[in-house]
Parts: sequence; C-alpha cells; structure tokens
Amino acid sequence: MNIKIRTLAKGIALIYGCALTSVAIANPTPVPPAGQLCVTCHGAEGEGIEPLGPRLAGLSKEYISTQLQHFQAGVRQNATMMPMAMTLQGDGIEQVASYFSAKSPKTEVKPVIRGEQVTFSDDTARLAYQGDWSRGLPACVTCHGPSGLGGGLFPRLAGQQASYIKTQLLAWQAGTRKGDVDGMMANVANKLTAAEVDALANYFANLK
Amino acid sequence: MKSSAILLLAAMGVLTAQVQAANELPDKQAPLPSVPKNPDQTYLTPRPLSAIPEGAFGDKVRLGYQLFVNTQQLRDKYVGNELNCANCHMDAGRKANASPLWGAYFAYPAYRKKDDKVNTFQERVQGCFNYSMNGKAPAAGSPELVALSAYAYWLGMSGLMDAANLDGPVPELSDAELVKGAKREDFPLPDTLAKAMTVEQRANLPGRGYPEIPKPELAFSPERGKAVYTAHCQACHGADGQGQAIAGVYSLPPLWGPKSYNWGAGMHRVNTAAFFIYENMPFAKSIQLTNQQAWDVAAYINSHERPQDPRNKGDVKQAQEKYHNDNDYYGVEVDGKVLGTASYPVFPKKS
Repeated sequence: MNIKIRTLAKGIALIYGCALTSVAIANPTPVPPAGQLCVTCHGAEGEGIEPLGPRLAGLSKEYISTQLQHFQAGVRQNATMMPMAMTLQGDGIEQVASYFSAKSPKTEVKPVIRGEQVTFSDDTARLAYQGDWSRGLPACVTCHGPSGLGGGLFPRLAGQQASYIKTQLLAWQAGTRKGDVDGMMANVANKLTAAEVDALANYFANLK
Repeated sequence: MKSSAILLLAAMGVLTAQVQAANELPDKQAPLPSVPKNPDQTYLTPRPLSAIPEGAFGDKVRLGYQLFVNTQQLRDKYVGNELNCANCHMDAGRKANASPLWGAYFAYPAYRKKDDKVNTFQERVQGCFNYSMNGKAPAAGSPELVALSAYAYWLGMSGLMDAANLDGPVPELSDAELVKGAKREDFPLPDTLAKAMTVEQRANLPGRGYPEIPKPELAFSPERGKAVYTAHCQACHGADGQGQAIAGVYSLPPLWGPKSYNWGAGMHRVNTAAFFIYENMPFAKSIQLTNQQAWDVAAYINSHERPQDPRNKGDVKQAQEKYHNDNDYYGVEVDGKVLGTASYPVFPKKS
C-alpha cells in the first residue's frame, strides 16, 4: 500500500511538472489557485491522465460542482478524490468548475440524432441509442444527449476514458457512487451485465 | 336590385360560415383511456425494429419510427414546440402503460361523443400535431400520417402475430387502409387472429393508454406539487420546467412555457398527467411517487402558462366553458393571473 502511494506520488509530481510547463505555452487562462491540485491528475486542459484522472473538459460547470460536493459529502466515495475535494473551500468549487467546464474536449464528436439510424447490428450501439425496455433500460442518450455529449447534471461520455466509465458504472452498482435523484442512474447501472459495462465504456470512449 | 344585394350578402354569409367550419380543428385531444393496472398482466410485445421488412412498406414503417422519435424534423412544417412523440410514449411507442402506439392503433376508428363523430387513427394523430405538438396537422393521407400509421400498425400486428405463433411478415396494407386504424369489422386480418379476438377485445389491449390511479385523498395542490417537482423532477426538466437540450435536441422535454404542449393537449389535464407521471416517472423507474404526489406534481406542472388552446376564439372564459371543465387549470386564476390570458402563440416558428 505504502509503496503504491509513493509511486503514485512520484508519478503525480512528474506529471504535475510537465502539466505546468504545457499550461504556460498552450493555455493563456491561468489555472486558478484552487485548481492547481486538479491538474496533476486531470491535466491543465482537463484532458485527463489515465488512469489517474478522467477528462474534465466537456463537462458542464453544474456537473463538476455537483460532483465535488458529492465527494465532500461522502455521497461519492473515492480514496483520492475525497481528500482532494476537501481542499476546495469557499469559492474553490466554483472556480474549479468554471475553469474546467470552459475547456473543450480534445475529441470532436459529431452528434448522431436519435432516429437517424433505425436498426443497429451492434448490440452496444443499440443499447446506447434505444435501450432495452424489456429490462427497463432506457437509452443512454436520453439523458446524456446525442452521442453522449452530456449537459447539465449529465456527464459527457463521448471521448471519456473507457477505464473511467467502467469504474463508474461499477461504482454505481456497488453503491459507492450515489447522489443521483431517485437513484435513476443506479437503477440503470444495476441492470447492466459485466459484459455490457465493458462494451458501453469502450463504445462511448471511442466515439468519433 | 336591393333584394339581390341582400341575397348576395346572405350567400356570402353562408360561404363564410362554411369556410369557418372547414377550418375548425377536426377533433379534440380527448382524455386517453385509462383503466386500473392488473399486476398479473402480460402485454403485447412488438417485434424488434430489425424485423421490419425491406421494401416500400417497410420503408413507411421505418419512416414512422423516425418521425416518432425525432418529430423535430417536422419543426415549422407541422410541429410548433420542442417535443417529440417519444417524450410521452416510452420506448418509441412500444411500451405498455405508456400509451403504446399498438394499443391506439387497434382502438380507432372510434366514435367520440364530444365531437360527435368517428375519428380514424390518422385523425387522432392529427389531434396530436394540433395540440401536443402545438403545430398544424399534416393533411389526411399525407406521407407523414401514412408512415406513423404504418409504424403503429406494424408494432401491433407483429405483436399479435407473435402472440398467436403466426410466423411470416406482417401483411402489407394500402395507405388508405393504414390510416383508418383497426377497430372495424372489415379490417384485414389473418384468419387466426380474426377468430382469436373480437374487434372490441383488440381495441382494449392490456397496457393501452396510461393506467388509472385513484383520486388523491387531498384535493390536488400545485403548492404541494412544487415541492415534489423540486425533489424529483427538476434535475431533468430544470427548475424552470424548460427541459434540457443537448446538441439542439430536447430529450428531456419542456413541461410548460412556449416550447411545450398547448392548452388543448391531453397532457394538460391533471388526471392524465398524474397517470402518466405515476406510471412512467422518474424516467425508467416507474412508480416511485405516491398517488398524492403524482396528482400534486401534475397540478403544479399544469398550472403554468403554455401555448394557447387553438380552439380559443379570442375569449378565454368562453373557451374554458366549452372545452375546459374537468381537471385542468385553463381559465383558472393562479398567482393572480388567469391562465390562458397570457398564453404563448400557437404554432410559432422556431426562433
């Protein structure tokens, strides 16, 4: 455990340094002081550093701030993120959410509008676009938007790291992630098989 | 000379009256049928969309599906708000207890006392465009109404055939047959099906409409409903009820205001909305609210201003007396304003 943490810390320090360098060149908007810690795992552009931190670019301000509050409240449990979120006091959450939500995701995804395609040979794409109501599973895109672009309280799935989408679906299943109104996301996640979790994570991660 | 002028005026008067009659909306958005839900009930299951056949008939069915889930492609042509049919008909009109299209198809043509005429299936769908979609209905026999009828027919017929272990493709019908609906003795059916059920039985398939729930113990109240809305609805539909668009598409629909259904839509009734909400909301969960909560939140949603009732001739009181006397807030004073007096336009262009 100790070794793991030390390695992680070294990794973070290394990436932190690189990230700061690239910020100075590529990004005219300075990272707010409250967000300095975030860039070590999420990147200065919110581009994410797998497997340390998911992409934040493309997420809404509302979503980022809500999730930070969930970490603080323990509604969302994660050994790394809970203490990190606790460092954000006062206007910290607001500043971090504003900063990262203003960043554009690296992968541009052309939204596919529901109904453009009637049938799907790929079961995963069908699940994403039409759901499987025989199991009470709605289409992912109903809430996450066309191609999972996200908005409001619903995170962007398009172009997110597959490993992260997967761990989150598993966290919903395990109950270590909560905070959804009426347990709507937990309801969906709990109906997915392990194979579907993998397949959906890869599907959204690789959308073009 | 004088008398012929009077005759002419009289003739013109008759003509004007006739033109007005022709412009009257052909039907009303009547309350959806609702019967108590039977917990042991099994429901008709339409075939998967992948079973829609190739060819001209299949193309109509596919187009019907596409129009149903992305009705916005008809924006400004026949649609005047930000809704899609699939917003109120879950699983693209396939899900039982969410006003499935297959249930409706076998329930029309139907005589409706309120407008004293028999409505065909396409006339019923025209009502949806005039009211739920705050638009202007496509003309009878138009490709859009044929396609929506074909989709509804295919869902229902494929489900009935599978239930009766009848293999093979769904029989193709002419456009003229499709738009009428299936509640008639002369509706073409495979023999096995014609013998298995009466027309009346087919018209009352389990899961049709939204299931009825008992009246609330306390008279429904928008004030209590507001708290229900805040706790259970606003995450998706927004604190202001305006839904949420992602990439220009409102999957999470506006519930009131200029972009929602108008004062003539079935959903503006508190009872209809309560039945829908109780059974189908929160999304994909079903039955999370109490009866009382469902009625209260339906009252809250429907006590906001929305697009005008297209049947209003310029007088809210008159329209209220003629069309609104059960379970709705049209013409009722809420927060010091009489609803209907500051209604949003009917069939506005997308801004």
